[in-house]
Amino acid sequence: MTLAKAPAVDVDGAKTRRRERPGHRSGPRPGHRAATGVGRPGFAWAAPAAVFFGLFAVVPLLMVVVLSFSRWNGLGSPEFAGLDNWRKLLDDPVMIESLWLSLLLTVLGVAVQTPVSILLGVWAAGHQRNRAVLSAIYFVPLLLSITAVSVLWRAVLDPNFGVPSQASWLFGDGNLLGTQSSALGVLVFVSTWQFTPLHALIYQGAARAVPQVLYQAAQIDGAGTVRQFFHITLPQLRNSIVTSTILMVVGGLTTFDTVLILTQGGPGTDTTISAYYMYQKAFKSFDFGAGAAVALLLVAVAGLVSLVMVRLTGYDKMRSTMEGV
Amino acid sequence: MKRRAQLLRTAVVGGVSLAMTLALAACGTSGDSAEGGSGTIRVLVYGDAANKVEKQLVDTFNKTSEVKAVLETVPGADYQTKLQTIISGKQAPDVFFNWGGGSIKPYVDAGLLLPLDDFIAKDPGLRNNFLPSVFDTAVVDGKAYGVPMRGTQPVLLFSNKKVLADAGVAAPRTWDDLLAAVRTLKGKGITPIALGGGDRWPTQMWFQYVYDRVAGPELFRKVLDGDKSAWESPDSKKALGMLRELVDAGAFGTNYDSVKFTDGGSPALLATGKAAFELMGSWEYSTLQDAYPDFVKSDLGYGAFPAVEGGKGDPGNLAGNANNFYSVLKKTRHPEAVADFLKLMYSDEFVKAQLGIGNLPTTTNTSGFLDESASPDYSKYQFGLVKEAPSFQLSWDQAFPPAAATSIHQAVQRFFNGQTDADGFISAMQSLPSA
Repeated sequence: MTLAKAPAVDVDGAKTRRRERPGHRSGPRPGHRAATGVGRPGFAWAAPAAVFFGLFAVVPLLMVVVLSFSRWNGLGSPEFAGLDNWRKLLDDPVMIESLWLSLLLTVLGVAVQTPVSILLGVWAAGHQRNRAVLSAIYFVPLLLSITAVSVLWRAVLDPNFGVPSQASWLFGDGNLLGTQSSALGVLVFVSTWQFTPLHALIYQGAARAVPQVLYQAAQIDGAGTVRQFFHITLPQLRNSIVTSTILMVVGGLTTFDTVLILTQGGPGTDTTISAYYMYQKAFKSFDFGAGAAVALLLVAVAGLVSLVMVRLTGYDKMRSTMEGV
Repeated sequence: MKRRAQLLRTAVVGGVSLAMTLALAACGTSGDSAEGGSGTIRVLVYGDAANKVEKQLVDTFNKTSEVKAVLETVPGADYQTKLQTIISGKQAPDVFFNWGGGSIKPYVDAGLLLPLDDFIAKDPGLRNNFLPSVFDTAVVDGKAYGVPMRGTQPVLLFSNKKVLADAGVAAPRTWDDLLAAVRTLKGKGITPIALGGGDRWPTQMWFQYVYDRVAGPELFRKVLDGDKSAWESPDSKKALGMLRELVDAGAFGTNYDSVKFTDGGSPALLATGKAAFELMGSWEYSTLQDAYPDFVKSDLGYGAFPAVEGGKGDPGNLAGNANNFYSVLKKTRHPEAVADFLKLMYSDEFVKAQLGIGNLPTTTNTSGFLDESASPDYSKYQFGLVKEAPSFQLSWDQAFPPAAATSIHQAVQRFFNGQTDADGFISAMQSLPSA
């Protein structure tokens, strides 16, 4: 049985299922034909969602498309500029670099956060009391605002008064935000610190849902903790890994606040990721046309990435990990 | 079941239309309130600690005026963005805070601002009662567009007197003195100069002064007038060479790009004796006063930027924020009331109130009240500098229109940290959107 078919409520489906597994369903009995006349839900059911989606997603997106073909500094009304913004943008080395930086930050984020949060989540899935207490503490960063977190880490990483001044063997002169590689490292680290708890939580729930019989069987077969982790836990977490990775990618591509507070895109333009570049163009340089074009480019790239991800991970036809259990 | 579905459908449709009506109604109300009552002028200011004085003056004005002034504050970081988005619309204020120069140039070009010439013709005090070097900052294309409304903030070279004394270094009067001091201090393991490079505008302050001392204010004036070749002039290259020499001498240490002024990092370096100098706006004094009152009392030194021998700029020239200004929207419905409101900006009450919160006003009557300042010596020193200054160079990022600020900040940072050389800096400055 596939998950996709399960929720079907059409009459025929109900009939077939009744035929297959008589007596298993407590659903509509043959005498109640009137009740099954509900049929497909009417379009009105989708109206609230459709209206909100249209009003807050489609309409603004269309306006951004229009804006990307205009020249506008916020004063007066936008003038039509043809392809100017786009031509300039595609020739703009900072734009190309910003897309790479966005992708790089996203990939680094996934690569660092996934193993850490899987380990933490699986560990926290144990029912020991100390684990429960520690998990609660690990959860704290998620409750803090990302702005507060960034300000906090800025202070902790201050080269003269923060941790680096006490540990020059590790940090050198402490110029963490002054070079591209270390500034990127700080950005990845701070987002990891903040968002690992969320993903650990996902993995904790998933790990607790793994049937104990699997572990019991493995123990009888003589598998140790490590083997159990790689051969039972990890495969069982497959769907959670997909979900959490997608969340990380979406979060990574739209990262903005950490960059705004920690590096402001610097040094130079070394950490100017697309989302920040869009903000800079629109709200610092008041070139709303160029900002809109950056935004659309980001939408296109993010759309492409998610399409590829859905295909690669089989998210669209996600299979149950419970088959055969 | 069917009836239930229908009911739900009705409820949903009803709910949606209700929500839309509410949303439309909300738009309607905000539009109405934005126009304001017939007898008010709206005054928009940058929200911070100085609002106390602005409130007081609005109250004073309202005591005698038929037309009432309403003060609106916008939190600092959002001010420029908010102003830009409302100024051409229905919600535009009558009078608004700005930094003069490039910060109002786009609005002048868009024909939104009222030249104050008529006001000045009726009351010459609106020009004569202010220090000329400051007043001129808000003159665009030969017409006055702003009246100074807060304190002046020249950039000064601050120092830790104890560190200098221990190292046997005197306060530098010339560029060569400064270079010598840098070498001595570095030899003693002290970061010679604290720099909040993470904020980037503190780095820009070094460019402003060195360019001024080497080439005089004319070079930057030419650039603002659209002569981009001035960036390639020998003076420009000489200034860049001097800055390069200073950075390479280790004047700022190596990690300045990870330090910020705005989070208290660089002032702490100066106050704790880890650095000997910091080039900063006059607000450094009140910043340090809050965090390190003992240091300010005993060891804080301050002075003008060193002279450059053979340079074209007068050593008395200043750079920084001349003042903040009130400018007036052309479409204000109460120009007379606005003129009366602006006249308060040279009143004794204004001067006393500004001095009381540590600001240094730039009216000609200020000198009479300097003893009432929170720190009389410091105020007198600054007032003297500003009064005598042959020229007051507005910060580059404010002299240019706001659109250029980010590019300027990136260029100065990249030049200091070696990501770009003199030619790269020159071409970056040449590609700035013109004023």
